Order: sequence, then C-alpha cells, then structure tokens
Amino acid sequence: MKNLKILLIDDEEEFVTTLAERLELRGLQARTALNGEAALQMIKVDTPQIVILDVMMPGIGGFEVLRRIKKQYPQLPVILLTGRGSTKEGIKGMELGAFDYLMKPLNIEELIKKMQEAIESHP
Amino acid sequence: MNTCEDKEVAFFGKITAGITHELKNVLAIIRESSGLMGDIISISPEAVIKHQEKIRNSIVRIKDQIERGVNLTDRLNRFAHSTDETLSKIDLQETIEQLVTLAQRFARLKHVVLKTVPPDHEGSPVILVTRHVQLQMALFASLECCFTIMSGGGEINIGIRKTKEENAVYVVCKGDLPSQSEFVRNISESEKWPVLQEIAACLEGSANLDETEHGIVLRFPKEISG
Repeated sequence: MKNLKILLIDDEEEFVTTLAERLELRGLQARTALNGEAALQMIKVDTPQIVILDVMMPGIGGFEVLRRIKKQYPQLPVILLTGRGSTKEGIKGMELGAFDYLMKPLNIEELIKKMQEAIESHP
Repeated sequence: MNTCEDKEVAFFGKITAGITHELKNVLAIIRESSGLMGDIISISPEAVIKHQEKIRNSIVRIKDQIERGVNLTDRLNRFAHSTDETLSKIDLQETIEQLVTLAQRFARLKHVVLKTVPPDHEGSPVILVTRHVQLQMALFASLECCFTIMSGGGEINIGIRKTKEENAVYVVCKGDLPSQSEFVRNISESEKWPVLQEIAACLEGSANLDETEHGIVLRFPKEISG
C-alpha cells in the first residue's frame, strides 16, 4: 500500500485536500481533482492505481465520470463516495462498475481498508 | 403528484434533501480536519506540541458530535426523500426508528425519553405500501397525544407487535401517569387526538386507545387502495 497512487475527485476542496494530507501522512501518494473534467485529464496524463470519486459534483457528475473511466480504463478500481443516507447511489455505482462505495463523512481507516481490498482484487 | 399540497410537500422534501447533502459535506470537512489534528498530535513529541491530552480529548468530543450530526443528517435526508413518491413501499420498523430519532428533541422538551422497541417477531420485516409522509405524521401525532398527558415526563416505548391477523404499532407511555380511565379521557379530549384520527383514516387505518396499557394502538393496512 505504501506509495500507492490515489486520485481523489471531489468538488469540496477543503475535504479533498485535508484527506490527501492525511493519506500522505500514511505514506500514500494522493492527488486531487475538483471536477470530472480535470480528473479525466489527470488520469490520461498519469494514471493512478485507484480512484476515489464523489458522486455529487457539478459539471460531469460522478456517475458519468465513472462510466468514462470504466470505458477507457476497465481495470482501474474506483471507490465511490456518496452523501445520501440510503444505499441507492452506492448500489447504482457498483452496477456501473465501481468496486465499492463509502458514505461521507469518511472513516479514514475504513477507506484504507477498502482501497487495500480493491487493489488486491485488481492485480 | 396531483395536488398543490403534494407539490408543496415534494418541494420541501427536495430542498431539505439538498441541504442535508451540504451538511454532510460540512461534517466531512470537520471530520477530516479534526482527524488531521489527531494525526499530527500522534507523530509530534510533547515538547513540540503541549497539552496533547487536552487536544486529544477535544478531538474525541468533536468526533462524537460529528457522529451525532451524521446520524441526524442521515435521518433527515431519508425523511426528506420520503416525499419523493406519494405512495411507496416502506419498512415499518425503519420508519419508526427514523421518526423516533427525529422526534427526540420534542421529547426532550417534555422531559420524555423516547425508545424504539425491537420487533417482537422473527423473520421478515413488516413492509407496507402506503403514503410514507402521512405514516410518519400518524406516528408523530400519536407521540404528541402522549406528550399532552405526560407533563411530569416519563418514557414512551414505540414498536410493532405482529400477529397472524395484523401488524399494529403500540405507543406505550410509562412513568408517573394518571389512572387508565383518566388517561383514556385526557388523550381522547386532547386537540391532537382528532388530528391523529384524521391521518389514520387517510391511511385507511385506525388509531385506538389501548384499554389495558397506557397507550395508543395504530393499525395500518399492508397496502392502501390509493
């Protein structure tokens, strides 16, 4: 897991930058994108090993970003972040190819565990 | 959505659901920021950052309040989404638990402890096809009826009792209460009682006073006709 290249995609800047700092303190390489367009460009230039993607974003929404990632990089694991109290969005995302989903606010240890599982299942 | 009232309810639901998404983001930022503080404390010697124990305790309190906020926001979000469809398939126990969480503040103001009773039956959950918003209104109206006679505080237990014939929701008051006959009279004369009756009728169900316990029994059909 050390030096794992992660791309965090969320339009809440304070959230992603703080989460990235916390992941870096744990020895992971986290980059951030604040919208879908920027994220897809970043993936094209330097493909990460895993993507953490918020569902609710302005512009290209999370599900559309997921569709495009899965079309071009089917082996790239994506973990969705959902804000809804129900599991509907997460399940929809998994049907579209997401590895799994987590609800916001996050538990960082749970996120790391989920990333580990995703990496192990996408060798 | 046919009537103006339906559209009003849907509007309130949509706006409230949108706000809960924003609140979740606020809580997520607070959690990550306090988490980062905790991370930094854990790798910094006491000589560099003083009063570490106090900071850690504060972080724990922040974390606890975030959990509280998340729970309330989740419930509020589900409550708001209950307006998405006029008629929907719902889990009765889940609806009761949600309503109890959202009504806690009203109970606290009356010095009443609200508790959900786990289902007394094994197996599959009780699923109803009904008007979700009105069902929650009926549950809340039954609590309000109880509040009117619980001036000295007490406890209300709310849960499902399932028999072969029916699924009934029992709202049972406990504590320093008037006699059973006085309880029945006071509740049936309270201004909330006709409100509860009206909502129960809209749901093709009933609301009756329990003759043996200090409580109200709500009965709803498995599927309303429309």
